[in-house]
Amino acid sequence: MDQLVLWLPAVPLASALLTFLLGDVLGKGAVRISAAGGVLTLALSAWLLGLILLGEDTHLHMIGTSWGGLLFDPLSVLMTLLIAGVSLLVRIYSIRYMAEEAGYVRFFVLLDLMTATLLIMVAAGDLITLLISWHLIGLLLYFLLGHDTRSHSAYRYGFWTLITYRIGDLPLVMAAMLLFHSYDSWWLPEVFAGIAADPDAVTFLGLPVVEVAGGLVAFSAFARSAQFLLHTWLPYSMEGPTPVSALMHAGIVNAGGILINRFAPVYVHTDGVLHWIFIVGLFTAIIGSVLMLSQNDVKKSLGYSTMGQMGFMVMECGVGAFSLAVFHLIAHGLFKGTMFLNAGGVIGEARRDDGVPKEDLYTFVVERQAPTYKQPWPIMAAITLAVPIFVLFLSHWAVAPDLFQKQGAIILLFFGWVTGAQLLFSTYHIGTQNPWRLVGLIIISFVIVVMGYTLISHAFDLFLYPNSEFAARLYQAAGIDILSFDILISIATLIIVLGWVRVYHQHRHQDHKNKYPGSLWLGFYALISREFYINDLYSWMSRNLLSASTRLNVLLRWG
Amino acid sequence: MDTKIFLLAGVFLPLFPFSIIFNALFERLSHPILRGIMLLFWPLIGIYLLQMAQRPPPDWIIAWASATAILYGFRLISMRDVGLWIGFLGTSAWALLWVGFNANIDHSRLYLSALGFSTPLIMLLILAAHIKVRFGAAYTYLYGGLAITTPRLSGVLVFTVLAATAAPIFPAFFIMLYNITLSAPAVIIAMLTGWLLWAWAGARLLQGLIVGPQAGGQIKDISRKLAWLYILLLNAMVLSGLYLPGKWL
Repeated sequence: MDQLVLWLPAVPLASALLTFLLGDVLGKGAVRISAAGGVLTLALSAWLLGLILLGEDTHLHMIGTSWGGLLFDPLSVLMTLLIAGVSLLVRIYSIRYMAEEAGYVRFFVLLDLMTATLLIMVAAGDLITLLISWHLIGLLLYFLLGHDTRSHSAYRYGFWTLITYRIGDLPLVMAAMLLFHSYDSWWLPEVFAGIAADPDAVTFLGLPVVEVAGGLVAFSAFARSAQFLLHTWLPYSMEGPTPVSALMHAGIVNAGGILINRFAPVYVHTDGVLHWIFIVGLFTAIIGSVLMLSQNDVKKSLGYSTMGQMGFMVMECGVGAFSLAVFHLIAHGLFKGTMFLNAGGVIGEARRDDGVPKEDLYTFVVERQAPTYKQPWPIMAAITLAVPIFVLFLSHWAVAPDLFQKQGAIILLFFGWVTGAQLLFSTYHIGTQNPWRLVGLIIISFVIVVMGYTLISHAFDLFLYPNSEFAARLYQAAGIDILSFDILISIATLIIVLGWVRVYHQHRHQDHKNKYPGSLWLGFYALISREFYINDLYSWMSRNLLSASTRLNVLLRWG
Repeated sequence: MDTKIFLLAGVFLPLFPFSIIFNALFERLSHPILRGIMLLFWPLIGIYLLQMAQRPPPDWIIAWASATAILYGFRLISMRDVGLWIGFLGTSAWALLWVGFNANIDHSRLYLSALGFSTPLIMLLILAAHIKVRFGAAYTYLYGGLAITTPRLSGVLVFTVLAATAAPIFPAFFIMLYNITLSAPAVIIAMLTGWLLWAWAGARLLQGLIVGPQAGGQIKDISRKLAWLYILLLNAMVLSGLYLPGKWL
């Protein structure tokens, strides 16, 4: 029964073919075939998930002899359900949204092909199938982003995406070759079994295979998930149709996290690669969040928001919390997909109500509302700092008491604490007639979110990595020595605590000393407003390469 | 004797500066049929010559071939004349066939590899001739908007360019992967760099032809028959790619 996994990508492929062939006969009605194919794909993927939840064993289903097969395992089944669901929603949404666009049928054919390719990618059972699907996703996205063939800018930014994806494809090719040469097989289960049997194999120059392959796979994932320095395509790819943005932000951009999870049996034997993954993810999360906050263009802001979230997802892999990264990418995908598909509704709402807050005098005189109150800042600062940490520790302790032995878990709790503190700080910032009621409600919401999140992430861990020893070894591979870890965490905590206290104090006393920004702050603002000049640098490099190529062609004009 | 054979073969499996001979000749012969014959037979002659050698080519020739592939890939990104673009891509791709000789693979595979690189180039050549008939020149960033004016032509053009630039799942993709499995790390990096440049050049070629508002007045599209012929050929290429070089992996 689990052989249905082979039929899963065949359904959208067949609907793409039928939509294309019947496009002339049925006209725009042909896209109903695509939607029907989407429903069938979703039903099949839900069936497969049901099978695995009922205890069906994982299998590799082969079509070819040396390559060409799909995996039926928890990761592939979970991801196929997400892809099938998001892609069906996008198709249903597009039936009306894209109705007036030229190339209407072509758009649905491309969507079907993209769905099939994504399904193959997440379930690829061998390195060649993975390479093919990985490469094809970039190409299909290029044509989806450039759906409006009249728009030069759509293609220009689509090209940024394509070239970044191609740059990211190449390390994966190298990793595949390296693993093939070292373990003499294209099949992923055989490669992983080979690694488990001989994790210390070395390659050229005496370098360890797992470290090099892990690094190359991570590089490929960075390009796909818009990590810092390979991120510029993401905020600028909004020129494409909104359904494509939804599909991209809800699904395609998550491919990096899926790839790292797929290669977990490689990373479990690595020594330093996960640390680098953590650093890149952390840096991306910070840069993405800073750039998101500094944008005045809502779409670019959403793009940078996704970049920040992808940074968090990669960071989670870097601390060994692989299953949490999968949970994160699903949650973020659904959230961001909804935001994009709801964009039209938000614009309509904004036309009815500008949403500009009234002044205090207006609300007091006209709306007859009482003035707002703020509580003493030391009490609020203490609540902000103490409550989240208490809730987080208690909920995690209830699920897994040994969790605090894992460094990765501590780091994630640390980030949860900062997020919770920021949430509570916002209540102080809002100002209300009944601040304690607001604080109470926010704490209750926070408890519910944290408990839900803890339980779901724990369930994901059990589902994706049922072998608890393997999961523990992943955390171990991401660990550093305990003294360095404690020092780093202590310094970070001190900085955060002092930062919060200062913010509260300044806020309360309306410190006007720093009303006018200094030159350092202005310099930083200039830097972020120009997005760290990275786009300018890449444009400059691209122009110079093209210019050098032209000069070379003039110089060698005879052939 | 072998060195002389290698140098002579360097004209047909182009090694810079011998590659200039092919490209200069290709530029002079403007007739599409003559150009097509050149694209088909030029690398086959090179393979035939190399079969006469008693030993595989030395590593320095492989390095030379890799450098040639990168050089022509780099020149390709700014080439706007579609005819010369085809010649440059052929030069860059055929240079990589030296890797197979170095690895001592079966000669039939080398002939098939050459055909896998050349066939989409010949198909592209025919499309370039159609563009030239309609617009007076097959030149990128000159008129654009083919997707609107001639949708069938631009549709098959997109897939042919993808096949020529070794996109999956066309034969050239598997040939590239197969060559990579035979190569040393430094050569792999050179091959991947060349491959990246092809993708860049392919995207620029398409953007310069198919993107943009409708150009000029009413332009006649290619016939449905020709479009279907191209679709059949492209499908045949996909199948042959999966069953020939795809099986070598």
